[in-house]
Amino acid sequence: MVEDVIGTDLLDIQGEKSYHPRTEQLLATARSFLSYKASVVGLVITAIYFIFALVDWVYPAILGIPAATFNNMTTYSPFAIGTISGGINNDGIFRPGLAHGFPYLLGGTIFNFPLLLGMIASLRFDIGYSVLVVFTGAAIGSSVGVIAGYLGRWADELLMRLTDIFFSIPFLILIIAFSLAFTSFFNSSLTAMIVALIIVWWPTYARLSRSLALSTKSLNYVEAATAAGSSKTRNIFYHVFPNVLSPIFVQISLDLGSVILIFATLAFLGVAGSQISNYTFPELGQLISSGSSTFQTTFTGVHLGTPVIWWPIIIPGIFLLIFTVSINLFGDGLRDALDPRLRK
Amino acid sequence: MEQNVMLNQEESQLSVEGLKVRFFTSKGIVKAIDNLSFSIRKGESYGLVGESGSGKSVTATSVMDLIPDPPGRIIRGKIFINGYNILNDLDRLVTIRIRKPTDVRIKRRKRLMKRHNYIMSGIRGDRVAMIFQEPFLSLNPVMTIGDQIREAILLHSRVEIANSIIKRETLNEDDVSKIADTLMAQPDNFTRKKLIVRVCSQYAIPELAKLFIDLFENSTDKEFITKELLSLVNTKKTGLSLEELEEARNYFLLMDRKHDLSLRLLEAEKQENEKLAEKLHLQIRAINQQLRSDYLVYSLKRRFLRRFIDKPFVEYATGRTLELLMQVNIAGPERVIDAYPHELSGGMLQRCMIAMAFSSNPQILIADEPTTALDVTTQAQILDLMREVNKTYNTSIFFITHDLAVIAEMCDRVGVIYGGNLVEEASVKEIFYNAKHPYTTGLMNAIPKAERRYEKTARLESIPGSVPNLIDPPTGCRFHPRCKFRMDVCSEKKPKLVEIEKEHKVACFLYSDEVENEIEEEVP
Amino acid sequence: MELKYFILRRSLVIIPTLMGLTVITFILLWGLGPELIYRGINSSPKVNIPLSQQALILSQNGFSAAVVNGKLVFTNPIGMYFNFVSDLFRGNWGYIIGQPLTAPTLQAIEFYFPNTIQLAVGATVMALLIAMPLGTYIGARPNSASDQVGRIFSLSGYALPAFWLGLVLIVLFGNNGTAGFGNGTSGNTPVGIIPYLNIFPYFGNGTEFLSTTAPKGFFSSTFGQTLPTHIFLIDSLIAGKLNYFVIALAHMVLPVATVTYGVLAGILRFIRAGMVDASGQEFVKTARAKGVPEGQVIKKHIRKNALLPTVTVLGLLISGLLGGVVTVEIVFNYKGIGWLAVQAALNYQAWGILAITFLFGIILMVTNLIVDVVYAFMDPRIRY
Repeated sequence: MVEDVIGTDLLDIQGEKSYHPRTEQLLATARSFLSYKASVVGLVITAIYFIFALVDWVYPAILGIPAATFNNMTTYSPFAIGTISGGINNDGIFRPGLAHGFPYLLGGTIFNFPLLLGMIASLRFDIGYSVLVVFTGAAIGSSVGVIAGYLGRWADELLMRLTDIFFSIPFLILIIAFSLAFTSFFNSSLTAMIVALIIVWWPTYARLSRSLALSTKSLNYVEAATAAGSSKTRNIFYHVFPNVLSPIFVQISLDLGSVILIFATLAFLGVAGSQISNYTFPELGQLISSGSSTFQTTFTGVHLGTPVIWWPIIIPGIFLLIFTVSINLFGDGLRDALDPRLRK
Repeated sequence: MEQNVMLNQEESQLSVEGLKVRFFTSKGIVKAIDNLSFSIRKGESYGLVGESGSGKSVTATSVMDLIPDPPGRIIRGKIFINGYNILNDLDRLVTIRIRKPTDVRIKRRKRLMKRHNYIMSGIRGDRVAMIFQEPFLSLNPVMTIGDQIREAILLHSRVEIANSIIKRETLNEDDVSKIADTLMAQPDNFTRKKLIVRVCSQYAIPELAKLFIDLFENSTDKEFITKELLSLVNTKKTGLSLEELEEARNYFLLMDRKHDLSLRLLEAEKQENEKLAEKLHLQIRAINQQLRSDYLVYSLKRRFLRRFIDKPFVEYATGRTLELLMQVNIAGPERVIDAYPHELSGGMLQRCMIAMAFSSNPQILIADEPTTALDVTTQAQILDLMREVNKTYNTSIFFITHDLAVIAEMCDRVGVIYGGNLVEEASVKEIFYNAKHPYTTGLMNAIPKAERRYEKTARLESIPGSVPNLIDPPTGCRFHPRCKFRMDVCSEKKPKLVEIEKEHKVACFLYSDEVENEIEEEVP
Repeated sequence: MELKYFILRRSLVIIPTLMGLTVITFILLWGLGPELIYRGINSSPKVNIPLSQQALILSQNGFSAAVVNGKLVFTNPIGMYFNFVSDLFRGNWGYIIGQPLTAPTLQAIEFYFPNTIQLAVGATVMALLIAMPLGTYIGARPNSASDQVGRIFSLSGYALPAFWLGLVLIVLFGNNGTAGFGNGTSGNTPVGIIPYLNIFPYFGNGTEFLSTTAPKGFFSSTFGQTLPTHIFLIDSLIAGKLNYFVIALAHMVLPVATVTYGVLAGILRFIRAGMVDASGQEFVKTARAKGVPEGQVIKKHIRKNALLPTVTVLGLLISGLLGGVVTVEIVFNYKGIGWLAVQAALNYQAWGILAITFLFGIILMVTNLIVDVVYAFMDPRIRY
């Protein structure tokens, strides 16, 4: 038993054949993941959203969206009514259906923009920037966490107290406050918002990777490697990091959904990033928000017997919901598959 | 033959017949127990030995019908506890679909499940009690020891408690003087002490025991003692209204009776004795009627004001808990009663478990490796305690362990289990000095023996190979791949457990050619 | 006895966190810059005066500022920090000028805070009331049909944006009215698309049609007597005005439902996981072996242990709840401090943002402390 442990570890240090048990583990994980049907469905839907976002970014014309739609939906609204300065006019907003061509399949939204195109164009911002935020946050957080966890003592204590402070303020308030405070520094409210999100997001990863690093540190084979003369840096990169990675990836997959929700909320509140608070900016929260203003101007209309304009609120929300549910299902499945104890 | 079995059941406290347990996992069906039969007589201590993974613990949990479900399930078999078969209603579980051999779905019949749980909760802890391997894990971490023992007492001895409290409330001068007489008549202080404790608990005044003992040690004047006793007892009388207490007693009596009738009804239904079933059914209905009319107010009060209504009962149970803790040799029971499990040592916790198990004087005690997690000196104390309890209450003990030394110490008869099958059963002496089955002899040779230490050539023998994988067990005799005396027939047919000498049964083709007939069933 | 020491020890840990909170608030102040700070420095700051005079006024108030390259900048962070911290703890939280109201920040918060308490406490109570029995029921039946439904429910709770849920509720059940429940009664206009069920007012907390002038004594002017709580739901009861109580209740339905949904989903998930985890443990077998009836096993033995992990994450859930409260207050135009925070951010009210961030930090810190004490009370193992 003891010989076994030391034997494999020596091999590992010399860098020979260190991959094959890991490859095996990967295969087992994949097999286990594929046995969760809901999670596979989640993965497929998530992948479709990502592909749309990518195409929208690289060559939006394929989707029938002019390139400029990324910034301004008015560039593609053949049947536009009214302008931002002219006020909201709801009399001619198209209902869902094919009567006005495919782009109006899901109806029109504020100023009669085609809702379907707006939603697809939104993915570019929503998915692109949430990937940016989550991955940056994860990179910063997990590096800090691993190092603090591995060094222990004062570094660990400092990290814990620091993250305590971040956790002691509701994150939404913190993001709003930070993005406001950084606006003048970055000269751009969007950059300020992204930086604020990263600042709020890294402590989660720092905490997670710190606890993982702590538990990995005391594992037999890491101690054996230390005994065989492996340095601290080497240990961190060869032993601690690989063990921390899989839970971090699970957390990333779950957080992609959360960050999109925050984007949507911020856009709805209109507090951060003046760019996404604009009615013409394609962003899912913004679409729902502008849908709600369309809806609110028709309140009296209900009384008069005209139909309620519900679709600009409901449809983008469902579109968002499908994404967040899928990515959560995917993340749950990934967590179960990566944790040998939870494997079926 | 049939009559023989019946007779056997009469004299045995616990008997298991043809037990078959399966675990349905994603890797396959684990054939944990196959056609296991044995019986334990009154006052006897029966040991079950085997390696880990041989099915000992599964057997123990089956006897209480506590197999975690899913994934486990008792497929077939009878378990008689005091002659009542607790597996009467196995049809409460219906296997509804098998696509592959591993894909078994079980449907639970809700009404039958409910009845089963009702019946079992009256049997478990009352007639059979169980102590477990890991005392640290087996006690609820967020409840005090006292709460947990009290719970057991309040569940099963409610009528007795009510009787005791009524007795206390009606205790008069004559009774006290009679008690004083008997106590005075005791030959020495030790027996008197024991008797005082018992008397005090009978009259629901356990907290007075200490004062009583002091009184008898300090004085021999009968009149003085009687007077003192009376005044002491009077301080404990709460002046509860007798009517209310009697109502409570009758309510609990009725509940107990209902449980008893339900038990008999189930049995009558299984034996298709429709006349009896009809009669029992009517009786139960009458009790339900009575509970709904006469005891409606009481049961409502109990539901909503339990804390106040049950106060005298809880007080009594506290006293009884102290007494039980004292009986299992715990020093400072007043402290332990308010302690949480994490504050006590393993040995102490195991004592508490034993106290809990004996709170309602069960006829059978199942001990599932009770000493494995303890260190050696504590082990000896716990074993001593169990033996003592066995003697005083004449309780049958079903002892499960892998430790042969413990078996030699504790048991009258021993069964050896291998791969879910009983391979040998005999008295302790026979097993140790005249083992027949190759597996048993292997086990015996694997015991380190002091006298062999100086023989240079002596090496500790071990049985080659390891416990079989029970998802896909060896055909025929499950031991044959590891057996030194393997024959051709061993891998083809399964030997039957046959009595080859008096009180000595073996399942091996070396001694008998009898073959066990396997029953074809839906579940393999 | 032990519990007392535990609480003391735990309270001491607050001190570094509190210091950190002040640092973060100060960083915010630094980032917001002297111009925004100056705007709320007193009740009527003069805007059209030279920058050097503005810098002078700032410095007089403890913010060392100077004019560099024609712009106001802060100098001397250390001294400013200590001034600022002492101001924070003395309640000198500057002024909100113009939008959404003109008042000292502290007074504005005092004015809006009771509404938030009403919403947050209402949602927490509702969530706990529903989650406890439901979680017990589901957790006792893992992998059953009800478990699947519960799973979908709690998953959707994570995946739903709170503001969208609020809007959907308005679209379905909303009623553009100031009176209580009801359709067609005076002042009530159905908005939601579900006939007969579109009776829930979605605008404000029901006090909108009452006097809105005086920040203090808001309710006393309405009911003609001084009332202690400033919480409409309770004040109306104390005053004995049942019709006002109904109005308050009607206005609570949709916001509370929205906030509850998110919190409930979180709690349910943890209770369920705790139940499944606890029912697999050995002591459950012991309880069954001593003959405890199945219902009692679940309620007394399993649930008690299942609630422990739930309590540990309660702090996180409350953080989420406060975030949810902010959005829901905007959706329903429900004037609490979340609403105030967003309005302050929209109107660049630096003092409002600073004060509310600090306040939310304190609230969360105190709730975390309470949660820890509750946990220690529930789990005897933690006290030592």
